[in-house]
Amino acid sequence: MISRRLFLSASMGAATALASTTPHARAEAGQVVVGTWGGDYGQLLSDLIDKPLLAPKGIEVLQDVANADPRKTKLLAERQSRRGSMDVACLSDSDAYIVAGMNAFEPVDDKKVPRLEKVFTELRTETAVPHIYSAQVILYNVNQVKTPPNAYADLWDPKWRGKVGLVDILYPANTLAAALAGGGGVSNFDPAEQKLMELRSLDVKIYPSNEALAAGLKSEEVWLTVMWLARGFMWKKAGIPIAHVVPKEGAASIVFEASVPRNARNKEGGFAYLDAMLDPKAQIAFADKMGYVPTVSDAVLPEDIAKQVALSEADRAKLLKPDYKYQTERSQRTLDFWNKQFKG
Amino acid sequence: MALLVLPACLLVLGLLVGPMMLMFRISLNQFSPTQLMIEEFSFGNYVQAAADPYYQEIIVTTLGMALLCTALTLVIAFPAAYWVGRLQSRWKSLVVIATLFPLLVGNVVRSAGWMALFDRDGLINAFLRWAHLIGEPLTLMYTPKAVVFGVVAVVLPYMILTIAAVIESIPRDLEDAAANLGASGLQTFWRVILPLSAPGVAAGSILVFVLCMNTYATAVLLGGPRFKMMAPAIFDQFVRGNNWPMGATLAFMLLAVTMSFTVFGSIAFARRYRLR
Repeated sequence: MISRRLFLSASMGAATALASTTPHARAEAGQVVVGTWGGDYGQLLSDLIDKPLLAPKGIEVLQDVANADPRKTKLLAERQSRRGSMDVACLSDSDAYIVAGMNAFEPVDDKKVPRLEKVFTELRTETAVPHIYSAQVILYNVNQVKTPPNAYADLWDPKWRGKVGLVDILYPANTLAAALAGGGGVSNFDPAEQKLMELRSLDVKIYPSNEALAAGLKSEEVWLTVMWLARGFMWKKAGIPIAHVVPKEGAASIVFEASVPRNARNKEGGFAYLDAMLDPKAQIAFADKMGYVPTVSDAVLPEDIAKQVALSEADRAKLLKPDYKYQTERSQRTLDFWNKQFKG
Repeated sequence: MALLVLPACLLVLGLLVGPMMLMFRISLNQFSPTQLMIEEFSFGNYVQAAADPYYQEIIVTTLGMALLCTALTLVIAFPAAYWVGRLQSRWKSLVVIATLFPLLVGNVVRSAGWMALFDRDGLINAFLRWAHLIGEPLTLMYTPKAVVFGVVAVVLPYMILTIAAVIESIPRDLEDAAANLGASGLQTFWRVILPLSAPGVAAGSILVFVLCMNTYATAVLLGGPRFKMMAPAIFDQFVRGNNWPMGATLAFMLLAVTMSFTVFGSIAFARRYRLR
């Protein structure tokens, strides 16, 4: 026989237990869900931001680890839901532009993210904080390539037949490199199509992932590639005999950003996280471990690291910012050409 | 009694039919790179995909791979299934668990292991070079052969266990009777075992065919960027191109092809063995 008192106390207990697992309670408890890449990036976020900077403020960080593509798709799919699954979403600048275009991100400003005032002006956007950035360069094997190329166009030299490797998932960046080699630019990918077909006839090798390309460079299956300078830094640290050249056509920038979705359950916590991502110490540590350059003016890199990961003043002046509107509008044509013609 | 199926029906309706209807509606929309999609009610995406030689080739490749892998799996699985089905030992449950073991490892993890095996510097090439059988490393990764190997290894347990369950139910006396009547081992297999195990063969083949048609991780990881099957192509449109209408269209085309072959295959199979 269950007494009224027992029933009420049991009900209250059950309700409390249930409430502790609801999203509302999660926000109050100061939990922040960060949609991020795993691997080194996720680990460094945890070591440099989550534990030392957020935990003392009573914010518990949960990482929702996935690649950028599924995360972008999730954000788009959830954008009309009242409650999203992430409080912070990390994406590349190009992906963030697409998601922001769907009105899925909260605007950011100095009030919500006080350290935004330290961010380099050219990297600021309305809905994201730039976390780290790098530039697209040519990587080459120092043992095999005695006269390094100095331009993207040099990769089309028949003497490199079968020795140039590209990563499939970086098809927009590869298309931009081909466009630049053919006289195009960030707002003109047209020349890329002919150049890519020429590269195909020169037996270019296509790898499914960055890791597969790294293995190809290590085994000397390929000697040259187009890649982020930061990746080259990491691979060099891992013992792959490579060096980089900033192409004379100009190096395109890649910025990894973070935003707070409009339907985030803990927006306050999300903005606190964004602010912590701009911490100078954390930014310098990211440069040291992953080779990405700080986005804030008060994070000054030690000279030895700067030499390896940062561009010279002259090269920085030639840094090409993607034309996000153009590349988004052309995205289907770029993907279709890459799949159907170039790889087909 | 009919109420017993209600929970399952509600689950399927809610989690399968509902999202599929939504997906079908999306497939009728028009893609917009800046707005994701524009509401429409047109079969234009279906016409475009069906007329595109690129997707025609992908469908043919997918179908060819699925049929080849199903046939190979059947040939490899049948003897093993016969042995498992006829096994009378206290270790039988362990054998069944061992058969299931490959399914306990995730697709991606398994494929990563094969990458280490097939790679230019992988174990196979290292061994062949050590044995002076080859000078230059063989290209094993990113080939259709690697995908066939990977897929067959994944789906083998499904076929073995499905057929073994049917073989278990075939009385051993029938084989003895066939032998008594002078049938050779091959004749017994062809005239007795195979027809009686036909339901298992049909069920296993359908299961394996459907799994092969939907192969994703193995095709991407072992086939490489140039090898295209339908599931990676759907992923490409949905996730890389943000083109949900085309992704949904391709998904329904894959579903239609898979269902057609499954239904026609089942009918043909049933007729073939009903005649005997």
